[in-house]
Amino acid sequence: MIEVKNVKKKYGRKQILKGISFTANKGEITCLIGINGVGKTTIMKAIMALTPINSGEILIDGGKIRKESFEKITFIPDTITMPQQMKISEAFQFMADFYKSWNPQRAQELLQFFKLDENDRIANLSKGNTAKVNMLLGLALDVDYLLMDEPFSGIDIFSREQIAEVFTSHLIEDRGVIITTHEINDIEHLIDKVVLIDEGAVLREFNVEEVRENEGKSVVDVMREVYRG
Amino acid sequence: MKNYLKLVHFEVNRFFKMYLIVVGLVIVSQLIGAVVESKEYLKNIKRTLLREQYSFSEYLQEGYQAEPFSQFLNSGWVILSVFMCVVILMLYVFFIWYREWFAKNTFIYRLLTLPTSRLTIYFAKLTAIMLLVFGFIALQIILLPIEHQLVYWIIPADYRIDILLTEAFNFVSLGGLYPSTFIEFILLYGIGLMFVAVLFTAILFERSYRLKGIFFAIVYSVLSCVVFISPVVLHFVSEGYFYPLEILSLLLVTGAIVLGCAIWLATYLLKYKITV
Repeated sequence: MIEVKNVKKKYGRKQILKGISFTANKGEITCLIGINGVGKTTIMKAIMALTPINSGEILIDGGKIRKESFEKITFIPDTITMPQQMKISEAFQFMADFYKSWNPQRAQELLQFFKLDENDRIANLSKGNTAKVNMLLGLALDVDYLLMDEPFSGIDIFSREQIAEVFTSHLIEDRGVIITTHEINDIEHLIDKVVLIDEGAVLREFNVEEVRENEGKSVVDVMREVYRG
Repeated sequence: MKNYLKLVHFEVNRFFKMYLIVVGLVIVSQLIGAVVESKEYLKNIKRTLLREQYSFSEYLQEGYQAEPFSQFLNSGWVILSVFMCVVILMLYVFFIWYREWFAKNTFIYRLLTLPTSRLTIYFAKLTAIMLLVFGFIALQIILLPIEHQLVYWIIPADYRIDILLTEAFNFVSLGGLYPSTFIEFILLYGIGLMFVAVLFTAILFERSYRLKGIFFAIVYSVLSCVVFISPVVLHFVSEGYFYPLEILSLLLVTGAIVLGCAIWLATYLLKYKITV
């Protein structure tokens, strides 16, 4: 379980996170929803120790993040995390060199699924294909938790479908996923849990299935209620 | 350790193409320089003979011969090429960090989430810089005898005063890059290593605190310099109370302190303060 407890963060004088708390379980897809600039990306960076927090605590399976944790949790940001001049095959080699949890068979499988050529240079890929490679580098790690920042932004409809397909496949099963988005439509039917965020605070945290059963509302219904009401 | 070596290999590889281009430029400019300077030297002799209406034996008696190899070493061909290497490496000290943040990719995300200590990245980059420095120095060691031969091959023995190759290594234009004793080696390259480590930590200050970080970086760098050279200041203040060897020992101590602090601060910044 990933536990985010009362996390506060300032950028200069601006308070970006005002005491955010939520949890994300293994085997569930947790979606952080909020408009741009509410601190979704900052939360993910804070979980990965890529930006300092002013107060609060973040625990992964009960412990603070350590170097060994990076075999268990990975972050897929919205930009490619490999040097542009690398070929896809070289990026694979790099991952295999450093991560014990790198799964080369799965990488090949994903390569075919996304219809990518491993001899292509990252610099020459289209935006959609770059996003796919980026996603592939995270998905081919045998980690327990995946953090994905806006996996659908700026990507054409067919690539979106392909990426959405990944969520229903065995590639995601059993893992804990935290995903941020401001376009819920593509993945509404996939997510287990929603954390609505606005202005650095959690407005509501709910289980999609429960709300659907008990209140008969969809995610969008709840969002409308929370943001407009 | 294994990850450290892999990262060093990776870092060196990334700069290697650019490095080879610079190496090529140095070789070409110095070899062309050796030829051009030698021809120029011969032309000058001819001019002198004509102007003074000397015969060659008179020319020799008047002691007009010079040291063409020294002249070559002091020429722009050598000085500028050495200077170019220094400038490029200085720039690369900064670029080796900033390239991870800027341009289209954000490789820093990957580097900082490798399942290895973040200090390993710092050491790998530090090692890469030192290897590139040693590479240039080795290149110059190889080039000097070739140029020495080339100059003396173009200019006949009677027209010149020879200098030994070993003397060439002490030339100012080579910036005293070639220490003659082990202590000097440690001192020279130890200072170099410390200098790069301090710059790296200063860069990490900027990367951690951004605008405020620039201020911290400057204060930190100045403090490091002050601590390091304090024995020299002491030497002047005490008007020679200490023996040179004692000052040297003190410099080794303050140098070790500065290097230690740089690494300790880098550990802290990379672990708790770095912002991508």
